[in-house]
Amino acid sequence: MNDYGMSGDDLEQMYQEVILEAAKNPHGKERFAADLTKEGAGADATGDSVVRATHEYCTPGESHQFNPTCGDEATVHVEVSDKEPHTIERVVWDGQGCSISQASLSVMVDLVDGKSVDEAMRLEHTFHKLMESRGKGLGDEALEETLGDGIVFQGVSKYPMRIKCALLAWEGLKDSIAKALAAKA
Amino acid sequence: MTDFAAIREQFPILDQQIHGHPLVYLDSAATSQKPQCVIDAESEFYRTINAGVHRGAHELAARSTVAFERARAKVARLVGANAEEGAEEIVVTGGATAGLNLLATAFGNASLGRGGAAAKRFALQPGDEIVVSKAEHHSVLLPFQELAYRTGATFKWLDLTEDGRVRTDNLDEVITERTKVVAVTHVGNTTGAITDITPIVRRAHEVGAVFVLDACQSVPHLKVDFHALDVDFAAWSAHKMYGPTGVGFLYGRRELLEALPPANFGGSMVELAWMDQPAQYMEPPARFEAGTQPVAQVVAAGVAAEWMMGIGLENIEAHERAIAAELLKLGDIEGIRILGPRENVDRIGTVAFDVAGVHPHDVGQYIDAQGIAIRVGHHCAQPVHRHFGLYASNRASSGVYNSVEDARALVEAAKGIRAFFGV
Repeated sequence: MNDYGMSGDDLEQMYQEVILEAAKNPHGKERFAADLTKEGAGADATGDSVVRATHEYCTPGESHQFNPTCGDEATVHVEVSDKEPHTIERVVWDGQGCSISQASLSVMVDLVDGKSVDEAMRLEHTFHKLMESRGKGLGDEALEETLGDGIVFQGVSKYPMRIKCALLAWEGLKDSIAKALAAKA
Repeated sequence: MTDFAAIREQFPILDQQIHGHPLVYLDSAATSQKPQCVIDAESEFYRTINAGVHRGAHELAARSTVAFERARAKVARLVGANAEEGAEEIVVTGGATAGLNLLATAFGNASLGRGGAAAKRFALQPGDEIVVSKAEHHSVLLPFQELAYRTGATFKWLDLTEDGRVRTDNLDEVITERTKVVAVTHVGNTTGAITDITPIVRRAHEVGAVFVLDACQSVPHLKVDFHALDVDFAAWSAHKMYGPTGVGFLYGRRELLEALPPANFGGSMVELAWMDQPAQYMEPPARFEAGTQPVAQVVAAGVAAEWMMGIGLENIEAHERAIAAELLKLGDIEGIRILGPRENVDRIGTVAFDVAGVHPHDVGQYIDAQGIAIRVGHHCAQPVHRHFGLYASNRASSGVYNSVEDARALVEAAKGIRAFFGV
């Protein structure tokens, strides 16, 4: 039998205070993408809108991520400095979805804003590992500490249906950075 | 008096604990559970008579063919369709989605001149119109929208009332002399609203259009008679009516099925095939059943149809109406809004709701932790959600095995959602 063992306690473990709080008061959220609850928004969602950087010494990248099971969606916008080492000078997002996806976006912004691209990618890798841990964590305290508040998603990693919600932010980050770097080349 | 507790006991899957609670299954609009007799019918077929149908001359092939055709006849009886040999009106498909795509593809083929003069009535060209409603499942919306793109026809739709019913007050405006196809759902898969299709069918026929009914959410819950409804085509799935997955049915008025060109090509749908000239296709329903059919599943679907008729569709309807009444009490909870008719009139026990400040995926997780299965998301009907200013919602939907207590359990659980998420 495949029982994912959700009990009242597990529910509390999944929905940690940090998650509920971040979902209510998101960090780095700005209104710039299409509103999927309105007819006619589709044209902006699929069109090649011009992505602009607010910092002239940066190259922007944007990535739209979608989780079709529950409709979580987010557009992550990054601006990467042209000077080496490439640094994330600005990271914002727009989107809507479940509290896990929304909180993960907020925590991701807190973690990578101002960091070098290399460091952000290391965090992305660590977070990915955490989400593959089936609730067990990374077994490496020092590594877990690098994730800061991101560690609260350990409870989510027990639930295969919800892992995608938590990863949405980081997929968006990885893809938008790749686009920014490609635009520089 | 029908013993619905005894009926519930025929569903082995319902007898289990989920997360330490007895399972309450309220997701029948997605897929229904199967009674033991349906489960047995499928394995019995494989144990005793499995063979290809309508081909081969050995005894098993003959038995499986008879079982397959008997199942077709049972399904026909469930929906008031013809079953006599040579007048069959039920086509076996891979599901409602496959049936609707078959139809749209066949109309597209007719538009390219295939099927000769008889098929002209289905042909579309620029200036012609296809009409659907905003309440459609993506399986109706997309095949017919794509058909419009392919043929250059104009794609139009009937709007909804504030509570999500298909509007019928402006039919003359939307369905015009240029309309060739009208495709509308019988029951909204999100709203649970029963569409008043009579005036829509009448208007479609008045202008010479073909009327296609999405019967997925009506056949499992209501007494449906396609002749009485006067629809031209109807599609639905077996797995929502207590039958197996992977199989569905397409009803077509005999005269129309005979005029319709095929959409899928291959074995067992052709009389004569040549290298240097066009093939001569079989009469319906075989013309539309290319390739090896899901025979065991069709046979089991026939058992499901018979089982439903044994309970009586009127009894099923009355039983589920009481459950709907209880589910509608969700709307009395502060912060919960019902998406669809709030009155228990001309609706089924499918009740979608929005919880203010809590995303459906979180609602589903919270409800699931109490052993209650509901659907969360957009239910493959994004436009109807936009009608309510939303992208996704939560949906509870009843089946014959549910009790009023099941609905009550959900309502009780739902009272705790907003407090848990601190909104």
